[in-house]
Amino acid sequence: MTAPPPPPGEHIPALEVRDLTVRFAGLTALDAVGFTVRPGTVHALIGPNGAGKSTCFNVLSGVYRATEGSVRLGPHELTALPPHRIADLGVGRIFQNLALPPRATVEDSLMLGRHRLTRTGFVAAGLRLPSAAREEARHRARVREIAAFVGLEQQLARPAGSLPYGQQKLAELARALCMEPKLLLLDEPVAGMTADERRRTASVIAGVRDSLGISVLLVEHDMGLVMRLADSVTVLDFGRRIADGAPGDVQNDPAVVRAYLGEESAA
Amino acid sequence: MSEILTRSGLRVGSPAVYGGAAACLVLLVLPFYLDRFWLQAGLFAMAAALGAIGINLLTGATGQLSMGHAFFLAVGAYGYCAFAGDGADGLAGLGLPGWLAAVLAVALSGLAGGVFSPIAGRLRGAYLGIATLALIFIGQHVLFNAHDLTGGFNGRAVPPLSLFGLTFDDTELLVAQVPFGAVEKLWYLGLALLLGGVLFARGVLRGRPGRAMNAIRDHRIAAGVMGIPVARYRAAVFVLSSMYAGLAGVLLALVFQRTVPEYFGMALSLEYLAMIVIGGLGSVAGAVAGGVFVSLLPQLLNRYSDALPLVSAPGTGGIAPGEAARYLYGAAVVAVVLFLPGGLARLAARRPGKPGSGKSPKTPMHTPNTPTTTEPSGEAR
Amino acid sequence: MSTFAEFLINGISLGSIYALIALGFVVIFRATEVVNFAHASLLLAGGYVTAVLHDEIGFWPALLAGIAGAAVVGAAVEFFVMRRHRGADHSVLAIVTIGVDILLATELTRRIGTDILALGDPWGDSVVTVGGVTIAETRIAALLAAGLLITAFLLAFRYTSWGVAMRAAAENQETAALMGIRLGRVSIGAWAVAGGLAAVAALFLTVFPTPGLERTTSLAALKAFPAAILGGLDSTTGALVGGLLVGVTESLATGYQGDLAFLGRGIGDLAPYLVMVAVLLIRPAGLFGTKEPARV
Repeated sequence: MTAPPPPPGEHIPALEVRDLTVRFAGLTALDAVGFTVRPGTVHALIGPNGAGKSTCFNVLSGVYRATEGSVRLGPHELTALPPHRIADLGVGRIFQNLALPPRATVEDSLMLGRHRLTRTGFVAAGLRLPSAAREEARHRARVREIAAFVGLEQQLARPAGSLPYGQQKLAELARALCMEPKLLLLDEPVAGMTADERRRTASVIAGVRDSLGISVLLVEHDMGLVMRLADSVTVLDFGRRIADGAPGDVQNDPAVVRAYLGEESAA
Repeated sequence: MSEILTRSGLRVGSPAVYGGAAACLVLLVLPFYLDRFWLQAGLFAMAAALGAIGINLLTGATGQLSMGHAFFLAVGAYGYCAFAGDGADGLAGLGLPGWLAAVLAVALSGLAGGVFSPIAGRLRGAYLGIATLALIFIGQHVLFNAHDLTGGFNGRAVPPLSLFGLTFDDTELLVAQVPFGAVEKLWYLGLALLLGGVLFARGVLRGRPGRAMNAIRDHRIAAGVMGIPVARYRAAVFVLSSMYAGLAGVLLALVFQRTVPEYFGMALSLEYLAMIVIGGLGSVAGAVAGGVFVSLLPQLLNRYSDALPLVSAPGTGGIAPGEAARYLYGAAVVAVVLFLPGGLARLAARRPGKPGSGKSPKTPMHTPNTPTTTEPSGEAR
Repeated sequence: MSTFAEFLINGISLGSIYALIALGFVVIFRATEVVNFAHASLLLAGGYVTAVLHDEIGFWPALLAGIAGAAVVGAAVEFFVMRRHRGADHSVLAIVTIGVDILLATELTRRIGTDILALGDPWGDSVVTVGGVTIAETRIAALLAAGLLITAFLLAFRYTSWGVAMRAAAENQETAALMGIRLGRVSIGAWAVAGGLAAVAALFLTVFPTPGLERTTSLAALKAFPAAILGGLDSTTGALVGGLLVGVTESLATGYQGDLAFLGRGIGDLAPYLVMVAVLLIRPAGLFGTKEPARV
């Protein structure tokens, strides 16, 4: 897999989550959770359903407000920022459920990812100023590179809704990559994919880390994929952190085994 | 340019391009052949199309409902009168040159939209629709009460526009043996404004702002996470939409030659929403088609009321043409959403060439070929 | 002081009527997530039925017929129009109700024409005076009727299976459907109840001191929109508080418009909208509205 040339060389900051607590109307979704995503690593966040993984993602991307605690990306505190400011700092995210407009072409959807890197406003776009056209052309070229990187270059002109589910998920990943993120939040990127698409997505994620040096925070239920890809793992259960460490250590942690088996026997 | 054309599905030499060119040609020669009533109806249609483009940017492309469009049309119309008026009629007027007054009136509409932006930016969808009801009532209140500025119930006369030494009034100008009065001259102004309005809106929709607007409509939260400042964009689109409405208001005022407050009531706002649903939400061609349809319908019915069953002149017991038109477009709104999502624009886009790709409809402006009478279709409820 | 008390009581009475309308509006919104812009026309329909029937069959049967009529119109709108659109975008659905409103309003205003129709209520223009405060009997009747209906409604909403189904549907449509709740019934029920409440409101919006039912009655009904949204579109409590706030504001602004003359004539009709704008500037979700946590 050939990676696209890396974005302008900026250093990748660490993500530090400290004592993060989120409460909704008395329900504690996250309880003093902490972990660190080291620069350029794949960090997996796992746990049974309802463990608080999606809540955590929503706080990291500014969709939910934290009740207490801090989230720092390098020097920036994220908990007080609105979503678009967090995106501006280089945090890209894909959603668990598809968030791709079905009728727009894949190319236009990916161009949306370039929003924070482009400047064309209403006047320039409306008057079709040359500067707008140049910017558009430059970024479309980059979008095509990224599409090729994830293997969607043949699908660029098609409406996103016409693609098979797995390819739509890949298109979302590509859209997040189009933001040239420093940190990528992936919420169940391979859910609903065929085995073949899973392999492709896994190699894209590995490629993102290895050739672009981007940090990845990954929520995923496919444990095989997590163990193969992740450099470190944090396990949540009922909003609490129950384990944290290298994949091999976490796998054998008795608390983790209990959380998963407990859930299965209860189901 | 060729890339833009290709992407929009138009190709040099394709039937659509020839069709469009032919339509433009027809539009340009119409003043030589049509009488005053038809031209006036056509001008109403152009103004409606401009206003509809504005609200389609807001409601169709960004998913933000507005019931306040009539308010901004009023700001444009009355703003023009106040900037251009010379005070001779006892009403406030700055006596500015007509072209400057028109530009300032559009800017004033944008400013009025901007003043409302703390609400326009933070409320979404139908919530904003209810909040903007306030604008209608504020507008009506001011129009009826601020006599010195608006002339109150009787409204105020609209000073003619002058541009490059040409005055758009009824002093006759002979062009190829055809006398050109106000409507003939305004016809070309209207065409130019509409063409500019269409091109600008298309540029916005196909470029970076348009992608952001659609993203906000389709998935507000994802849009924020992708780095789009949602509130700022909503407010900006509201301002742009208000400016289109202001421009439509200026053109309407010039055609009417008198602005009256009751025209800018709630019914007018509803008409604009009907236009964009019938024409096609989110598309510029749809806004134009819907604007032409809804504004010409009552005039057509009026003209041909003798020949139509059920419809008869007001006061004779049957259904008045204005009412018949409202039945028709009310039903059209319901029916279009039921049977023709995407509106007239989608229908036209489906006919020639490839199906799908509803985002790049290629209907040329519908030729208003059988308009009549001078009566405006909106009235306050 | 007694004038102020009169204005206040009249305002509360008027506000309870707005609350009645707003409640129906909120019920439709909670059950179907649709903002019903045809609500004022539903009200006009109910009032119209009462107005044309009361001479023949007497006031009370005519009122019941009006309530039934508006409920049927509401249910018909749901069944023949909204149901076919289910799944469409909510902004689009709101515009569909605008289409319905254009149809209903055109038909009703055509029938009413320039007439002012009496609804044949038994109170006429009689007043009661207690401790120097003079109140029209119609205002007292309005307050009592609205209070009774709102209480009955809230009890039903809380304790009957219909209320439970409605609240479940508002919480999460898919889950409610999986739990065996018939969304169709919930939604048609909401439209019918909203229509019935609006018909009662139509009566009290057109009795003394208002001359009667006319085409502009729907403008008065529209004030339930600011009432609903300033309370918070998804909150029944909000509808009540919003209704009262709008009613009292309107009554005071109209009562003291002599002192407010610099603001122009008819400031009382505008005041509810100004209050709405002021509230939304501070609380975009309304006083009691929930800022829904996004499910992503």
